[in-house]
Amino acid sequence: MSAHATPHTGHDAHHDDHHHDPGFLRKYVFSTDHKMIGMQYGITAMLFLAFGFYLMMVMRWSIAYPHQPLPEWMSWVFSDGWKSRWLQDGKVTGETYNMFGAMHGTIMVFLGIVPLGFGAFGNYVTPLQIGAVDMAFPKLNMMSYWIYLAGGLIMCASFFMESGAAKSGWTNYSPLAGFADGQIVNQWLAGQTQWLVGLVLLITSSLLGSVNFITTIINLRARGMTWMRLPFFVWAMLVTGFLLLLAFPPLEAAGIMQLMDRVAHSSFFMPSGLFTKSEGLADLSGGGSPLLYQHLFWFLGHPEVYVLLLPAIACVAEIIPVNTRKPLWGYKSMVYSVLVLGFLSFIVWAHHMYLTGMGPVVSTWFQVTTVLISIPSVILLTAMIISLWGGSIRFTPPMLWACAFIPMFGIGGLTGLPLAFNLVDLHLHDTYYVIGHFHYVVAPGILFGLFAGVYHWYPKITGRFMSPTLSHLHFWPSLVCMNLIFFPMLVQGMAGFHRRWYNGGDAYLAKAADSVNVFGNTVRDHIDLNIIMSWGAWALAVAQIPFFINLFLSWKTGKKITSDNPWNATTLEWATPTPPGHGNFLEEPSVYRGPYEYSRPDCDEDYLPQWVAPKRNEPAEPVADKHDSAH
Amino acid sequence: MEIPYIVTPRKDTGLTNSKIAIWLFLASEVMLFGGFFSAYVFLRIGADYPWPERTLPVLPGLINTFVLIGSSVTVVFAWASLKLRNWRKFQLYMGITVACAAIFMVLKGVEYSVKFSHQAVRLTDYTVLEGHLGYELKEGADSHHPKAEDYEKDHNGNKIEENRIRVETSALTFNTLRFYKPWIADLLDQAKHHGDAKITLTGDIKGIKTEGGKEEVLFKAGTPLSVDLLEEIQSLHLAARSHNSALRTAASRVEWDKALAANPDKQGWELSSEVNVDMEALKPRFLTEIQSVPFKVEPATRFIFKPRDIREAATQSRLRDDTVVDGKLLESPMVFHNLDAIDFQHLVMKAEEKGIDPQIAIQNSWIMKNSEFARKAWEWHNKKVEALEKRLIADYGFEADGKTPKREPTHKERYRLGWKELAKMAEDGGMAKLSFADKMKEEFMGPNYAARTEKTFPHLSVPREQIGFASKFAPAWNTYYAIYFTITGLHGLHVVGGALVLAYYLFFGRKMYDANPEWLANRVEVGGLFWHFVDLVWIFVFPILYLM
Repeated sequence: MSAHATPHTGHDAHHDDHHHDPGFLRKYVFSTDHKMIGMQYGITAMLFLAFGFYLMMVMRWSIAYPHQPLPEWMSWVFSDGWKSRWLQDGKVTGETYNMFGAMHGTIMVFLGIVPLGFGAFGNYVTPLQIGAVDMAFPKLNMMSYWIYLAGGLIMCASFFMESGAAKSGWTNYSPLAGFADGQIVNQWLAGQTQWLVGLVLLITSSLLGSVNFITTIINLRARGMTWMRLPFFVWAMLVTGFLLLLAFPPLEAAGIMQLMDRVAHSSFFMPSGLFTKSEGLADLSGGGSPLLYQHLFWFLGHPEVYVLLLPAIACVAEIIPVNTRKPLWGYKSMVYSVLVLGFLSFIVWAHHMYLTGMGPVVSTWFQVTTVLISIPSVILLTAMIISLWGGSIRFTPPMLWACAFIPMFGIGGLTGLPLAFNLVDLHLHDTYYVIGHFHYVVAPGILFGLFAGVYHWYPKITGRFMSPTLSHLHFWPSLVCMNLIFFPMLVQGMAGFHRRWYNGGDAYLAKAADSVNVFGNTVRDHIDLNIIMSWGAWALAVAQIPFFINLFLSWKTGKKITSDNPWNATTLEWATPTPPGHGNFLEEPSVYRGPYEYSRPDCDEDYLPQWVAPKRNEPAEPVADKHDSAH
Repeated sequence: MEIPYIVTPRKDTGLTNSKIAIWLFLASEVMLFGGFFSAYVFLRIGADYPWPERTLPVLPGLINTFVLIGSSVTVVFAWASLKLRNWRKFQLYMGITVACAAIFMVLKGVEYSVKFSHQAVRLTDYTVLEGHLGYELKEGADSHHPKAEDYEKDHNGNKIEENRIRVETSALTFNTLRFYKPWIADLLDQAKHHGDAKITLTGDIKGIKTEGGKEEVLFKAGTPLSVDLLEEIQSLHLAARSHNSALRTAASRVEWDKALAANPDKQGWELSSEVNVDMEALKPRFLTEIQSVPFKVEPATRFIFKPRDIREAATQSRLRDDTVVDGKLLESPMVFHNLDAIDFQHLVMKAEEKGIDPQIAIQNSWIMKNSEFARKAWEWHNKKVEALEKRLIADYGFEADGKTPKREPTHKERYRLGWKELAKMAEDGGMAKLSFADKMKEEFMGPNYAARTEKTFPHLSVPREQIGFASKFAPAWNTYYAIYFTITGLHGLHVVGGALVLAYYLFFGRKMYDANPEWLANRVEVGGLFWHFVDLVWIFVFPILYLM
């Protein structure tokens, strides 16, 4: 197989094409092909992301213009009945804001980013990059997608019920979450309960997925694909798989216990003597522990951050060498960093809980591990920055996003450092500073990385490039708007803006207009930022329109690729026909060298793919290793 | 396309795909059960009530332990038989394995059902009483030896447990949005059943149905209650609500546009007090919203409600679906047909927190003041505790100071009178002893009221106002039972799931065996690994929940 092969179409060149064509349902809906499942994940996740984004747009209205009715360009989505239930004369109520806030977080994290990063990219790219015919368990893979979809739909269906969807924050802390919707007689029809049912389904789905991924990576690597020849992407997926495998079950335990609290009236997370305004003394045995819920939640919650992040870093780490035409700098240190990162992520969870009164000893321990985990993260980021140094950079659309990922994620990471120290966190906890911090990580960070991935692998999936003009129309406004939204959050947070003010601080102003916090900031100084941020958010929505046009239009009209390896890349996914057929490779691939052999002085071309058989004079040891040990 | 390494292991890893997958899955399962066991530790350490120690029947648990261990052995034999290509023996051993799973689940089922019918109540003074509730009897029936036809039945033909809130209801007001349909049906049945009462609309419901229309009578007074009627009212209400809300929203938009145009330099939050919608002007266009619907019950009739569904008060109670129940609260005691334990541990714990002498607190408790039986039992129990104290001193002696005994009766031994002690007391007092078979049955099913009679386990009526918290021995009773049911329930699901998979190999594995016996052997190996895990979890569950 030559790197210069003209494009094959996977279907025609399919090596066992004596199989009869599967029907539409088997091919597109109940497919067991990892690539189709990857696309199903991708499209579903993008729809959920759009929905989660919409919820946020409504919330941003309530923050910027708390007294004004929701404008028609946003409210037309709702039916009249729904509006009369959830809006008060057109205005967003606190209850509705809470509901949207809880569901925005849940949807973005569990239904949007994880399925897009791990489910879509992981599924599509991983087996290709290791030279496998499919995942180790194709049916399990299909099941994983359908369970995910069912979980997501159950969660969202609750928007249309009398109770509404869950409204106790995406963290769903007890005892608040235990009481919410308590007035609903049939608890199975309460949004709060359906959230838990949905969550248990999502966890089951990701369990199936992670078992499948890890098995595939361990056992289905192609001939010659040794561990240190794995592309970094695959390493990141392996670690992500382990995080999902081991961190999610404790949350499943928590979910089951909270479900028991709701439907069997147990008191796992309900302390004695709970008294509520509406119900008086709770008719419960009490004796439970709300703190237990937080521990179990964050035992997942923190590794979850890396489950979100690693696929994005993985995409960027693939895109940078291709577009700088030089090897990924420090491949081995990146691999070891990601392994250390995976391990450390299990022992930092309680830094989300400094304010719960765990005690200084526990806080100090978690403060130390939290600071430690910044080391491998910084190694990853630094390696990627150095990879740019001295490269002949091609600013292709994926590379633009990848380049933007680095500083954006950098801001997200660095703003996290102060939060690691419990003394500072006492002040910043639950303010917009925290929101700004993690949104910088997730939105301009992770999402940019994933967008980079979409632009990068699109030619492999469709055989056509995405339009560069539309890509630029997507990229630049997005970059500007992201910063317009999230940078002011950091400023507001330091001025003491609480993350759950549904009217953006307006009610607070009425009570304590001139109260000054320890930084000398007042709410009055920064409340106008709300309007800038909100317009930034709505403009960001507009900026995504070119992307969706591009995504669907280029499928049929984009510039056709002229080779199966349009970016002149080195990893195995580019050795497949375009698009790859069922079974992926035309012949079983063999791997002869490391993943990032660019600009080798002993080659005519500036890249040497993993699958090209060596000429006789090629040294036995891959050059990448020498390059690594040189620094 | 064929996935490699399904039957033959990959050379460098030495593993088949399914072997890797099952170990990963088990790792995940370890984390899941790890979560529950950590929760157990956390809850037990943080418990603010006396943690029930050694409270479950050990014998069935012990039998289950051996059953599961045995099945773990036979599943290995089944696998080995496949490796030796002996289908008959595979069938035999796998059959035994699946049968063991069935025995396990039956014993578990018995254990559960006994708990679900066993009542506990924590009085407001923190005395805990346990036993079986009675059922309502028809008037004049012999309460000690009721016959089947003596029981009062509800409209479904079920016996009515004597733990209901009774209200002499004269009126019911439903929340248009939140009324719960099954309860409406239930109320209608009760009305018919308890005296042929009629539930009808109290007054005419008047309203405007179309914009600009005239007020008309929508529903006439005297219309009988039905789910259809309420649903019709609900749909009218919803239509009116969305109509009115849309009007107000539109008006508010107009006002805001005006205000913003007039004050271009001001922000919305500065203007909000100046923007007001003229509701009077809109009023003629509004439709009538019907928030709640009042009904009268004629003649006033006794309705019964489950305690969890109602917030009762002397003259006006409220159901969980926001239905207002007008009427006099009738006496609604909780009646133990058989009381089988009196437990002062929680009461003593509370007394010690407040610095009150436990003995005085016990003497002042409601049960000691109101039950001759409790006083007698307590006296008998104290003698036993004294004897125990003496025996412990005789057996273990004192500490170095010569005063403090090395061992003392535990809190539970001092302050709890369990059913076995009450049985002992009755036997000491001359009750006939039970046969060995009956005693064994008690090890599985709990106290045998019929054989031991109410002389051992007396009747007791607890007035409603004395009840602090009541529940069956279900997850609601306390965090111990919550974690017990959750862990064993989840473990039970694993047993069922594992057994189904193994049974599938047993009954449908022949085809695969004929095609590729090694493949089936691999699958049984993987299923067997899971089965071992299920066994291992039980090895942890049993001591933690049953023995500690």
